[in-house]
Amino acid sequence: MRLLIVEDDAPLASGLQRILEAEGHAVDVTPRGEEAVLAASQEKFDLVILDIGLPQMDGFEVLRRLRAGGPGRGPMPVLVLTARDAVDDRVRGLDLGADDYMVKPFAMPELTARVRALLRRSQSHGGPRIAHGPLQLDTVARRAFLKGEPLELAAREWAVLEVLLARVEKIVSKEAIIQAVAGWGDDLSPNAIEVYVSRLRSKLEPAGIRIRTVRGFGYMLEEYK
Amino acid sequence: MAARSLRAHLLRMLLPPIAAALALGAVISYFPTIEPATQAYDQALVDIGLALGSHVRVTQTEYRFELPPAVEQVLRTDRFDRIYYRVMSPAGLEIAGDPGLPSPPSEAVAHNTVYDGNKVRVVSVLAPCGRSTCTVLVAETMVKRERLARDLLLQSILPELLIAAATLLIVWFGVKRGLRPLARLSEEIKARSAGDLRPIDAAGAPEETRPLVGALNGLLDEVSAASRKQQRFLADAAHQLRTPLAGLQAHAELALAQPLPEPSRAQVERVHQATIRTGRLANQLLALARAEPGVRISLAPLDLKSLVEGEADAWVHQALARDIDFGFELEAAQIQGDAFLLREALANLVHNALEYSQRGARVTVRTGRRERAAFIEVEDDGPGIAPAERGRVLERFYRVPGTSGTGSGLGLAIVREIASSHGASIAITDSASGGCRVAITFPHG
Repeated sequence: MRLLIVEDDAPLASGLQRILEAEGHAVDVTPRGEEAVLAASQEKFDLVILDIGLPQMDGFEVLRRLRAGGPGRGPMPVLVLTARDAVDDRVRGLDLGADDYMVKPFAMPELTARVRALLRRSQSHGGPRIAHGPLQLDTVARRAFLKGEPLELAAREWAVLEVLLARVEKIVSKEAIIQAVAGWGDDLSPNAIEVYVSRLRSKLEPAGIRIRTVRGFGYMLEEYK
Repeated sequence: MAARSLRAHLLRMLLPPIAAALALGAVISYFPTIEPATQAYDQALVDIGLALGSHVRVTQTEYRFELPPAVEQVLRTDRFDRIYYRVMSPAGLEIAGDPGLPSPPSEAVAHNTVYDGNKVRVVSVLAPCGRSTCTVLVAETMVKRERLARDLLLQSILPELLIAAATLLIVWFGVKRGLRPLARLSEEIKARSAGDLRPIDAAGAPEETRPLVGALNGLLDEVSAASRKQQRFLADAAHQLRTPLAGLQAHAELALAQPLPEPSRAQVERVHQATIRTGRLANQLLALARAEPGVRISLAPLDLKSLVEGEADAWVHQALARDIDFGFELEAAQIQGDAFLLREALANLVHNALEYSQRGARVTVRTGRRERAAFIEVEDDGPGIAPAERGRVLERFYRVPGTSGTGSGLGLAIVREIASSHGASIAITDSASGGCRVAITFPHG
């Protein structure tokens, strides 16, 4: 994947670059917002990692220009980095159009996990196929395969799995799952969700796909290792 | 310098002139009344003198004074005083009466002197003796005159004493009453929390206290500006630390991702841990700067349950890394709060719970309402905090002796300050499993 890092702190920028290159990405780095806007207008990046506290043109302005310009280039996910919690809530409010944000300092595994999640989301965005380790879902044909073998999934099991797959390594509340599945008919109780998850587990765990229970909250589909 | 009472000062200033006025008033009203009274008493003596004079008989050879004993007794009788008399011939020779009674100086009719060991008033009366005149001296002791003088003095001074007393009372209570706006002002200031640096409302204050209120407001303004400046500095400093820390952490983790020989690996590992701690410390300083007394926090309606749900993902991942069962019991609880500060308070509580729990331990975050009051609490089944230590762990930089781990001792102090900036209370109790439960309970409403 092609990544652009916009960060004026040289040690941090080089550290991020090396970590993401080690993950197998092609990474460009610029310390200046103006250059980032120019580069993004000329080339397609799969993800931009953007620091808010840049000299001259700051990250907010860069983000605004990235979102305003260049029609027809498709979605370009932006992961915002910030050192100031005062902007924290603005970023959280997503009125900026950022896809995710991180407050400095952060652990590198967390950064790489978020980068993977953003890339996965943008790759599968509208795409017919979702892959998770040995599991493959063809959302058009509504067919699932595990290790290449067809996997039988009831409609609601499918719906629950889709919700979890959209947020791998993120905890998902039972309420969120109920809301996503509610379109499938009558009211669902949290207990019913437990039943579907337990069925999914018995089908997926033999293949090493784990759904973790978060007590009093919901579930998390772990990254496949 | 001893504290000076305005009342005592006023009274000290008022007393000498009041005393002087009192004395002057007494003198002014005493003499005009004592004079006629004295004259009346003198006149009575003169009358006695005249009566005595009429008893002088003149013969060829001598002056004779013939007074029946009954008459003399009548003349000499007085309720209060002893009466003396002396009759002298025109040549000044003794005729009758009390010898040696001193006569007044030549021109005076009456005067005071001493006779027989008593103070006496003497009048001198001329009585016809043939072709010449005899002198009759009549004297009486001063008992009724002095009593009269005393009565007169009392009569004139008593109303003045009452007026003076009234004046002093009026000053005493008037000052208190007059100073009541100041007392109200001090009550208002006393009732304030340490962090309340809003200007005092001058509208209700009387004209005379406006300069004081103005000066106080000026001071409050300066203190609050200084506090804001300090807060800004601390916040800037903490923010400035974050980017280099992120770089440091990135490179430490990069290094650790490579094969490293011992002891280099252990050293880089320590650098990495120190970096993470420093990052936490920067966050804690930021929170302290924000929750510092004197800094007004911005309250907005928020739901504690949503607040926890927003942070839950990061906590669960931290707990998974330590093999801790991290769970939730969340009920909606609306409060007025500062989301950033409450997130930081929670981060500190959760960090402590994770830090002091063993592998396989349970940590639970709860929100909801108890007896109508919204609360948020974090419970673990770690070693707990001994009751004797519970007050002290809320102090800055205090760490329970013998504690392992790498805390700064700031965490719970920050939680306490954030709680108090919300008017919330913090309570440390035992959890059912003997661990520690820290609850923040918010005021009603």
